[in-house]
Parts: sequence; structure tokens; C-alpha cells
Amino acid sequence: MRQTLSTWLLLLPMAAAAQTEPASGVPSLLKRLEDRVAKLEGAPAKTSLSAFNPALGLLLDLAYTHGDGQRDSRSRFRFRTAELNIEAPIDPFLKGWAVVNANPDEVEVEEAALETTSLPYNLTVRGGRLFAAFGRMGHFHDDEIPVVDRPRSLDTFIGGEARADGVELSYLFPTDLYLNATAGLYNKVGGENGRADNAVSRPLDHFTYLGRLSTYLDLGDDHSVELGASVAWTPKRFVMDTSVPGDADGDGFPGDGENTSAGIETKKNTWRTLGGVDLTYRWHPTKGGKYQGMVWGTEVFQNDERRFAPATKLPTDRVKAYAGYSYVWLKVGPRWRPGVMVDLSEDLDEARKLTRTFSGFVTYDFSEFHRLRLVYSHQMNNVPGNQHANIVSLQWTGILGHHVHGFRDR
Amino acid sequence: MITFKEKVMKNKIFRLALILLLAGWAPLAQAAGKLRVVATVPDLVDITRRIGADLAEVQGLARGPEDIHQVVMKPSFVTRLNKADAVVYLGLSVEHSFLPGLLEVARNPKARRNADTFGCLGPGCIDCSEGVNVMEKPETLSRAEGELHPQGNPHYNLDPQEGPRMARLIAAGLARLDPEHAADYERNLKAYLSELEPRIAEWKRLAAALHGFKAVSFHKDVAYLGRFTGIDFVDTVELKPGIAPTPTHLEQLVKKMKGQGVKLIVREQQYDAKVCEWLAEKTGAGIAVIGTMANALPDSETFEKFSERNLKALLEAAGKRGP
Ligand SMILES: [Zn+2]
Repeated sequence: MRQTLSTWLLLLPMAAAAQTEPASGVPSLLKRLEDRVAKLEGAPAKTSLSAFNPALGLLLDLAYTHGDGQRDSRSRFRFRTAELNIEAPIDPFLKGWAVVNANPDEVEVEEAALETTSLPYNLTVRGGRLFAAFGRMGHFHDDEIPVVDRPRSLDTFIGGEARADGVELSYLFPTDLYLNATAGLYNKVGGENGRADNAVSRPLDHFTYLGRLSTYLDLGDDHSVELGASVAWTPKRFVMDTSVPGDADGDGFPGDGENTSAGIETKKNTWRTLGGVDLTYRWHPTKGGKYQGMVWGTEVFQNDERRFAPATKLPTDRVKAYAGYSYVWLKVGPRWRPGVMVDLSEDLDEARKLTRTFSGFVTYDFSEFHRLRLVYSHQMNNVPGNQHANIVSLQWTGILGHHVHGFRDR
Repeated sequence: MITFKEKVMKNKIFRLALILLLAGWAPLAQAAGKLRVVATVPDLVDITRRIGADLAEVQGLARGPEDIHQVVMKPSFVTRLNKADAVVYLGLSVEHSFLPGLLEVARNPKARRNADTFGCLGPGCIDCSEGVNVMEKPETLSRAEGELHPQGNPHYNLDPQEGPRMARLIAAGLARLDPEHAADYERNLKAYLSELEPRIAEWKRLAAALHGFKAVSFHKDVAYLGRFTGIDFVDTVELKPGIAPTPTHLEQLVKKMKGQGVKLIVREQQYDAKVCEWLAEKTGAGIAVIGTMANALPDSETFEKFSERNLKALLEAAGKRGP
């Protein structure tokens, strides 16, 4: 209807022009009209993809897990998450996004952050609740990692996802070689990191400071290597010994009119550094890359901190512990992506205790937004009378609406 | 005590380090004065080079043989885009797998991500889809219909007749960014068109032999090729755009091809050859392997060679004589 109207509106002035032209002008006029109508018909669809509304996406993640331990074997269905993604530019200088994660136990804000889009000198500032730029897989959402459950090394050393409340400044070097530096300041890093509480204030030396440098090399057209090194440093930490009445005023008489719920506080020698190096090798054949490819990803972490007895919170020794994972993920054909992963994690309290996890996994992509994934893991540790466990998970994932794989999620 | 020899050594090492450091910056200085252009696909690299000539330094992103819907974002693309004065792209969201994600992190105020169109936003953006007669605009945007291009079919570079329009847009874009050399770009454009346009007329004449010929393609990206050649594309090997064929769909496709007398299968080179061979065996149809970008196939690195090669493949598979 609108098109007919606009065609007539177009016709009117041209018809007027035609009257002044000699008769021979009519065929050329028709030609011109035809061209203009064709142009209207051929104009791109005016379906603005978001029209000021934020882009919305919802990820549904369901799984069935069977665990076969030393003593018993059990299964369950797991509604893992309904993860809502909201994203939009805010003005010419800023964009914002939020990721809200609803699982059976709670609704939590995974990310809620602002990021500058037009700072000069190749700088970008991000702030809010975000996934800190520590390592590689730490800042992937659960659906982007190659297995169903996060590797143990990430869970124990980072504390799950590298979620952090704070600010980050990153700088892209203006060289031909890709070189990116990031500095961060956060309450703490790690969604499940229990060392500090996001809800309490703290002096500056109790924050966590991050530095990261990453680079990338093309090895010909089809191969590439990415390298990164990160350090998260927390200068000090409060740890309260809750088994002894507190002596907050330090007069040597615990409990004399003080808040007796507070215990002895340890401040000395409580610095912690979590270091990490990551390497990603990719084979993405330019020709045939639709049906074959490979990613080899490895990360190694070192945790150096003074530990505290879990029950009494009394200080024990400073422990240096290591952990890491390595996986190979292949693409074979348009839909199948099999792979294997090894995870070695030392115990944070006792580095001699080592847990090894071997996993085999395969992903079947029905489409870009719909997939099935099967993971088999065998876990064992080297504690005397050690425990073995076999875990099988089948995961079914679907994405509704908007979904972008950002540059950071590669 | 440092000996003289050691001093010389140290000096040498220091100089070497300095040279290496400077080498990283050298390309910056080298390109100074020239317009730095990044073009997303080899077709656009070629046309931009012809028009920019020695006034522009043109770098590409996709190399050609990839599936344009799944081009991998490499950090080396980020550094290229970071320094670009102009970004030349096909648009209509065909580069959605890599361009928005790269522009997002490239920190180039001249070319930023356009969250609304999967394209580019800023003074350096040259969108080659401007004025294209867009085909196959979707009536509904539901993923139940597969991976649709929301603004309509973006694979217009498969119609050689779109070449001159793209070239004019690029020339206008370069002139806008570098008005001092506007006359040079105009002259280069004329020279290019005087070479390209007669070829297009010749191809059009040859394509007449294909008019009304029934065919299936692997992906739904051949509408513009159909418009140029007159080939009637009746179905796709894929179940829906971006959805690999299922056995049921293939069975039905065989029936349909036999029923309608379809004698040509057009396989975009990035797609599975085996399925097409199986289909050819079942139906007796010929297979034409085409590229959807320049340089997708050997000896097709320019827009001209790419257009000619595709036409030749179609004519040969359809049993007609090629150019
Ligand atoms: Zn397409």
C-alpha cells in the first residue's frame, strides 16, 4: 500500500515534466520510472535489527549427569542455567551490557558493565561487574568452554569464572604485531573466590591488581599462535580466627568490651599472587575450514599465598601450588567437534596432593544456535586410598534471539 | 672491567634491539601519505587497488576460500583495522561473523561497529551495498527459517553487473576521504570501467545460453547469479540457510530435481563436495563449482577473473561453450 502511494508520488512530478517534453521523451520517461520503482523495490529491508532497543539473547543450558564414585553411583537432570544477555550502545562514547544468570538456586548478575567505545590513544576502559582479563578460559561464559563443567584448575585456582567487580584499562599497541596490555583493579577475582566479600569495603592494599599482556602470531595463512601472561596480585587480606575471642583494640585482653564475635586477625604475610600463562594454537584452514580445524589450548597457573586452616582460620604455611589444563578440539565435518582434555590440579593447601582429570568430549552442532555435547571424565587423586570417579554428562543447549561471539570469546 | 670487544658486542646487541623495535613501527611511517584501506573480501581489495592505485595501500581480511559466513577473527585483523583510514565492505550483514566483532575491539574512531546493521559506523566506512537492488528480502525473521540475512540476500558480488556500482562507490568514498586526489580516483575509475564494462556485455551475451536453465545451489546465495545468467534456481542442497542437509531433505531433493528436470548443481567451493557428487549421481546433473568471493578458486584473484571463472564453470557444467 505504502509502495503504491510512493510510486504515485514519484509519478506526479515526472508526469508534469513529461508534459513539457516532446512525444519522443515518453519511452525514456517510462524507462526512468521503471528504474526508480525497481530501486524502491530493491532497497534493503528496513528491519532495523534493534532500533534503540538493546539486543536480547537467552541461553538455555540443560544437562543430564551421571557420577560413578568409589561408593555409589548416581544421576540427575540439571537445569544449569537460563542466561539472559542484554547489550546496546549507550551513546557515542559508551556501550553497556548485562548477563543475568538464573539457575535453580539463585538469580545472579554475572556481568553488568560499561565500556568506552571512543577513547583516544587506543585505550579502552571497562567498569562494573565483568569477567576480568585473567588468562583465557577464565573469562569465557560456561557455554563457550569445550566441556560441560569448568576444568578443576579454573575452579580451584581462579574460583570459577574470572568474575570481578572493578575497573580495567586496556591498551592496544599501535604496532603491526598484535600486542595488548591490560591493567585492572578489583575487589577480588573469581566468582566463587571466598577470600574476600564484595559487600564490604576495604583499604586499597586489600584490592586485587591485575596485569596482562597478550600477543598473537600468524604462522602462514592457516596456523596461528596466541600467547598471554597474567598476574593477579592481592597485597593483603584480613583473616579472622573465629575460634578465639577477639582483641580488636589490641590491649592483650581479648573480649574486654570488644565485639566478641571478632577473633584474632592475621594481616602479616597475607599477600597472594595468582600467575598464569596461556597458549592457544589454531589450525583454521582457509580452504576447507568449514569442515575441518583444530584448537589446542593450554593454561598453567601458579598460586602463591599463605593458607589458613579451614576450621579455625588459623594461619598455616605459605604454599606455592600449580595447576593447568590442556585440550585439543577438532572440527571434523560440518557438525562434529570431538576433543580431549587433561587437567592437573594441585591442592592449594598441600601441593603434593594432585588431582588428575582426563576428559573426552564431543559436540554435535545442529545449527549455530543449537547443540548437544557429551563429556566423559575420569578423575583421580594421589592421596593414599585414592578416590576414582567417572562422570558422564550430556548437555543440550539452545540460544534464543541475539547471540554474538565477541572477539574475547574466541 | 669491560673490554673493548664486549663494548662493541653490547653496542651491537643494543642496535639490533633498536632496529627490531623500530621495525615494528616502520610500516606506519611507510604508509604515511598513502590512504590506508582495509577491504573485507578479495573482490573489494582488487577494485579498491585499481581505483586507489599508488595513492592507497589496500589490505584484505578474508582471503577468498573461506565461507564468508564463518570467517575467523584474527588479532592481526584488529591491528590492520586499528590503523585504517577507510574500511571497504560488502554490507547487508554478510560480514556478520567477523567485521562487527573486529571493529568492536579495533579502537578506530574512523570505523566503529554499527550495532544496528552488523556493519561499520564512522567517516571511514565505505559500504558497497548502497543502491544495490536487494533480492530475497525475508518476509519473516524467524530462526525456524534458518540463518537468514535480515536485510535480504547480500551476495550481490556474484552479479558482474554490480561491479561498476561497487567501483563508483569506492571511488566516491576514496575521494571523500582524500579530496586532494579526487581527480585521480575519478580517472582510475574511468579506466577501470572502460575495461570492465565491455567484458560484462560479453559475459551477458554468453550467459544467454543459460537462460531458463534449472539448477539447485548448495547455499541460498545465488539469487544475483540467477539474475545475471537467467538460471532458474529451484532449491538448495542445504535444508535451510546455514543448516546442513538431512537425509530426508536430500531424498526429496532428488525427487524434485528428477521431477522438474534439473540438470545443474551449483556448488559454492567452500561446501561439501561429496553430497553434491552423490546428488549428481542420483540425478544425472552436472556440477559447477563456483566461488562466492574472488580468489575462492585458483586464478580468480580479481573481480574480473572471478566473474569470468564462475560463468565459465556454469557454461561448462551446463554443457555449453565457455568464454
Ligand atoms: Zn548467505
